[in-house]
Amino acid sequence: MRRSTLTSLLVLCLVTAAPAWAQPSPGELTVVLSSLSTEALDPILAGHIVKFYLSLMFDYLVGATPDGQLSRDGGVATRWEASADGKRWTFHLRRGVRFHTGDELTAEDVKFSILRALGPRSTTGYAQGLRQLVKEIETPAPDRVVIVTKDTTAMIPTLLSRLLSTEGMILPKQYVEAKGDDGFARAPVGSGPYRFVEQVSGSHVRLEAVPSHWRLGTPKYKTVVFKAVPEETTRIAMLRRGEADVVEISRERMKEVAGAGYPVHLRREDGQIEGWFVQPWAQTPIRDKRVREALNLAIDRKELAETVFGGQASPAAVPFGLSWSFPEIKFKITPEMVYAHDPGRAKRLLADAGYANGFPIDIFAFQLPGFPEGRAMAEAIAGYWQHVGLKPRLIPVDYPAFRKQWFDRTAPGALGYYNIANRDWIGTYALIDKYAAPSAKSASIRDPELDSLMDAVIHQADREKTYALMRSIFNRLRSEHLGLPLVYYHTPYATSKRVPRWNPGAIMYELNVDELLAGK
Amino acid sequence: MAERRRARRPPLLPLAIIVAFVAVAVLAGVASPADPYAQHLRSRLAPPIWSAGGSWQHPLGTDRLGRDLLSRLFYGARVSLAAGVVTVALAGAVGGGVGLVAGYLRGRTGALLMRVTDATLAFPIILLALVLAVTLGPSFANVVVAIAVILWARYARVIYGEVVALMERDFIAQARALGASPVRIIAFHLFPNTANTLVVLVSLQVGYVIVVEAALSFLGAGIPPPTPAWGSMIAEGRDYITSAWWVSLFPGLAILLVVLAFNLMGDWLRDVLDPRLGQF
Amino acid sequence: MRRFLAVRLVQSLATLLLLSLAVFILARATGDPLSLILPMAATEEDYANARRYLGLDRPLPEQYVSFLVRAARGDFGTSLRARRPVNELLRERFPNSLKLAGFAMALSLLVAFPLGVAAAARKGTLVDTAAKTVAALGQALPTFFVGIVLIEVVAGRLQWLPAGGTGGLAHYVLPGVTLGWFVLAGLMRLLRSSVLEVLDADYVRTARAKGATERAVVWRHALRNALIPVVTFAGVSFAILVTTAVVVETVFAWPGMGRLAYEAISGRDFPVIQAVVLVTGAVVAAVNLAVDLLYVWIDPRIRYG
Repeated sequence: MRRSTLTSLLVLCLVTAAPAWAQPSPGELTVVLSSLSTEALDPILAGHIVKFYLSLMFDYLVGATPDGQLSRDGGVATRWEASADGKRWTFHLRRGVRFHTGDELTAEDVKFSILRALGPRSTTGYAQGLRQLVKEIETPAPDRVVIVTKDTTAMIPTLLSRLLSTEGMILPKQYVEAKGDDGFARAPVGSGPYRFVEQVSGSHVRLEAVPSHWRLGTPKYKTVVFKAVPEETTRIAMLRRGEADVVEISRERMKEVAGAGYPVHLRREDGQIEGWFVQPWAQTPIRDKRVREALNLAIDRKELAETVFGGQASPAAVPFGLSWSFPEIKFKITPEMVYAHDPGRAKRLLADAGYANGFPIDIFAFQLPGFPEGRAMAEAIAGYWQHVGLKPRLIPVDYPAFRKQWFDRTAPGALGYYNIANRDWIGTYALIDKYAAPSAKSASIRDPELDSLMDAVIHQADREKTYALMRSIFNRLRSEHLGLPLVYYHTPYATSKRVPRWNPGAIMYELNVDELLAGK
Repeated sequence: MAERRRARRPPLLPLAIIVAFVAVAVLAGVASPADPYAQHLRSRLAPPIWSAGGSWQHPLGTDRLGRDLLSRLFYGARVSLAAGVVTVALAGAVGGGVGLVAGYLRGRTGALLMRVTDATLAFPIILLALVLAVTLGPSFANVVVAIAVILWARYARVIYGEVVALMERDFIAQARALGASPVRIIAFHLFPNTANTLVVLVSLQVGYVIVVEAALSFLGAGIPPPTPAWGSMIAEGRDYITSAWWVSLFPGLAILLVVLAFNLMGDWLRDVLDPRLGQF
Repeated sequence: MRRFLAVRLVQSLATLLLLSLAVFILARATGDPLSLILPMAATEEDYANARRYLGLDRPLPEQYVSFLVRAARGDFGTSLRARRPVNELLRERFPNSLKLAGFAMALSLLVAFPLGVAAAARKGTLVDTAAKTVAALGQALPTFFVGIVLIEVVAGRLQWLPAGGTGGLAHYVLPGVTLGWFVLAGLMRLLRSSVLEVLDADYVRTARAKGATERAVVWRHALRNALIPVVTFAGVSFAILVTTAVVVETVFAWPGMGRLAYEAISGRDFPVIQAVVLVTGAVVAAVNLAVDLLYVWIDPRIRYG
């Protein structure tokens, strides 16, 4: 091979290197996240994990404010009401909402979309709960939809809103039927302020603004690009070079980025790091309430929050219990509820339970999106438990491997954990149900008393009584030590200097990108 | 001729580096200033002694859980060197064995063995190790096995080539004529004549194994924590390259020195033992 | 020659068949994709439905045969995770991998040639040692570390080059250097030893005796014949680069085949794992075959029965 051959090979490589990502132009907003998850474009195939960009492509039946209240301005429904028995929910639809195909959005589209989200192909997070609730859907007029439920319930608007998953996203019936499910999944069409342009798997999703949208007007940026960049150093370098406008950063490196002069925006109390013990407990020390309390007391949550979580977290108190609607249901976390760090008492409790010499306990160690501290935290917990005489064993795996053992119940008594997003109380209820319902594969709590409380909530129509039940549920979770609440964490996002002020909102699994885009 | 003699002299610096690190690995228990597993979260990411805020308590500073970095580096020498040596030994034994047997037998068995070898070679290296690590679960032994699985085929290929050439030689025909058993021919005639090649191949790849282990750690499938291995120490420390550079830099330097030393030693061994061997 | 070609072709196909069986089994050994696809509250019935829907309920031998038959026609099924045809994913990713590997390889060769020849021509001197050390450095550090440091310094601080992602020429430089440096050691070492060997050969001595300058000897005579093993190695390395750049692709957010496979392994996405391994295996086999043919072309003295 002569030099000229080499040179021409090099030139060939360069020429074929077609530009796919250009430098950001004034008309383009680039959002860089650590992962775009499954990158699915069909709302029912992925659910909440891809809401970041889906929420711009589709409108929800019920909208929400950035801070997490149902809103009449943000969704397709302008108002809704329940019948006296709480079994018929009527939604009045906004007129003049158009899909990107130009067709007008009607009650038929709403009915089609909800039924599709409840259908057998759907893998969204709340489809199961909705299937149990919804009896039928009526469309008495083009701008009116009635959802008839089997039971009295107050949860329908929330379940179909932007607050939870994607079940409330409205799809164009005609288009989906004409294209087929697979065709739709590749060229999705919604009625949101941005329409789908291009997807390169493992790289990015590109959206383009629709002129004069009812929700955002004519957006400030003609295109929005969501990029997946797994490595944090790369994301931060992109921010510094002006290749990115909004960047997911870790709690650890927040100070560094802020120190370099980039605005950092916090989602305060974005979620809770919750540990739990894999079922079945029966043959393990975990069945003993004293042991569960000891495991909690052994951990120095304040130290964890200040060190491993870079000071961007605070000690958590109630297992599985974080909801921004605590004030609404009148539940208050008192200082006594936060577990003290008391290794001495932990040792005494273990001795009382007959484990003076400790026992072996497995700790799965894995990373999750949005939770880069995972492995370090697991190692730290092992250290705390070792300190009170237990014999912890770290099992570093990837999350799927843990999930399999958890669901198959092949690691009884082992510790798993998750970063659980802060949410509306109905969302919290649905979440606790996933961990507590005896029939669920994911069940990780065994407590008959809790089961009966959970059951009572579904059939309770009275608001105040429902709230009282929810309070009892949280108290029960805490007093029985039915999990290992660790910390409440804040999540930082950095922005380029051209995006100085921004409220990243509180809605789980998405960012309030709308605010950055909204036109006049 | 003077040049040739100079080439035969072992390279002193690499040799010294290897000896030093082996000594550190052996003496880790006595030489370490602290328990490499003891966590002190409050004193995490403490800087090394010569930086502002450093102290003699942690001469090279601490990691993200406040563990003493120097001690972890010492114990890490044990883990990483053991991983490197055990892996190549395992891969060498299997690969050498397959190469010898396949080259001796030829025929259908030989062809089948070589197709298995080729299939292994065609498997993307890191991905095969990753699949194995995910399947077997993480542990020192499993990581060693996973990396050995991706290495043995290379050895098998080269040894097979040498054996096929050897089989044409007179002394093998003579041994056969004298009624030597296949095992005897392989063990006493073929093996000694390929041993040099094997030694060179294996020594050239101790460093490679250490680097591959680091890559697996980066992908979350390396030697599991809290065991100190250099690769996982760099992988853990990469998030701190701007704020606490020492966490990744020191294990990085350790790997750099050891791998360079092993590679230069391997180069020298090849020049001395098997100058024809170019590919590796 | 024709017979040789036929034998090699059959061998390659047999290898690929074995590879397909291995990856089919290994992919399934990694775990269960359903617990990742289905929501947490899914019941046994949901699992059974999904298994049927995705064709995972059929007996394994039947699944294998249908995988093989369809793969032979170039159809790798549908990704369990992205629910898109695997071929579509390959079309998005494969060109990116080829381009990056090509760039890295070209870069590496450009440096390896002068370095290798200089090292050989001045064997045992400081030049030799320096050349060997520069080359070896690329393999003595984990690529992710080299990549991250390059990103931090060149992209983050100096802001000369893009930090990540695909794009124009500039996007190739940092990942290309990281990857190219990694293969440099092998290429350079090989070149050095080949040139050394040839320098010792009779016809070079003859050339020297005839009074050719040392420079001419090295460049004209030695290099040409030292090329054969280099071409082999370059070919194989290229194939390896295409398939195992997973770490570099992760660091530089480069949507290539390695990252695709990594995501597939993380998601227990059997069809994608199978497709990536089989396609890249085919590339390796094809490159090996091409290299064999190149031998004949470079050195006409080699004749195959």
